[in-house]
Amino acid sequence: MVPSVPTPAALPKALDAPTGSGDGARAVTTVEDSVLLVRAQAGDVSAFEQLVERHQQKVFAMASRMLRSDDDAAEVVQEAFLAAYRKLPEFRGESAFGSWVYRITANFALMRLRHRKVSLTVEEPDGAPNFNERGSLIDDVADWSRDAEEQTLDAELRKAIDGATAKLPEDHRQVFLLRDVEGLSYEEIAQVTGDSLAAIKSRLHRARLAMRAAIDQFYAERAG
Amino acid sequence: MSESSTCQSCLALLVDYVDGQLPDDVRAKLESHFHDCQPCEDFLATYRATASVCRKALERTIPESVAAKLHAFIRDELCNKSKA
Repeated sequence: MVPSVPTPAALPKALDAPTGSGDGARAVTTVEDSVLLVRAQAGDVSAFEQLVERHQQKVFAMASRMLRSDDDAAEVVQEAFLAAYRKLPEFRGESAFGSWVYRITANFALMRLRHRKVSLTVEEPDGAPNFNERGSLIDDVADWSRDAEEQTLDAELRKAIDGATAKLPEDHRQVFLLRDVEGLSYEEIAQVTGDSLAAIKSRLHRARLAMRAAIDQFYAERAG
Repeated sequence: MSESSTCQSCLALLVDYVDGQLPDDVRAKLESHFHDCQPCEDFLATYRATASVCRKALERTIPESVAAKLHAFIRDELCNKSKA
């Protein structure tokens, strides 16, 4: 079954694949994309190839994180760009091309995950804080935020985070990745996953707690 | 949210708090609690930092071989389409 391809006209303008550059650079990229788009829509294959070149890194990274497999990610990215090409005549430019391809890729990746799901064991994520009977936090809480955000991550912490991500239940992991790593809005996540806003926020919170706990444990073990 | 804010009631609202989506009165109560509760303030700081740390840790780069294969695939598919 082929996942639905988001209708270009229905995509919000705010959805833009994170570029890692400033707003100015993004604006320039958008203008150039629009020129390439017009050429691609007119049948210029090389223009579409340039669009692929420009956006392949972002969409591959997302697919790789979601699928936890470079091989599967490569296939999904191929499918996504091909689907985008086939839908090009319908693209009116109301949203950025990158955003559109990003959403298409997320849809294909989720569809592949749903096929995989039969073999997945689903557990509740751990990491919720502990409280006493009066509702007071009883955990020892260390603030590692500045250390973690300002310094280059070491390999061991990367490994710990990667492992903790893998342990999240699939639906929690996808919401966490789409929101906190890929930067999609709640509404966009709801469109991609078909889940309610309440369910998305609940899963996101629990996933964040689990990821926070994993990083917390890393720093506790390193300090201890 | 009850008049007396507990750590538990405050930390349950973190998603909407960090998104800036709480009503002003509820947000004020949370911030008052965080101001007076060091463990919760530290918890909040690490909760906020989790996303950015994970973003850095989960960076991925497309391998050159995958990029080359993607371009070959796209070219083949598009050329076949234009010939059909």
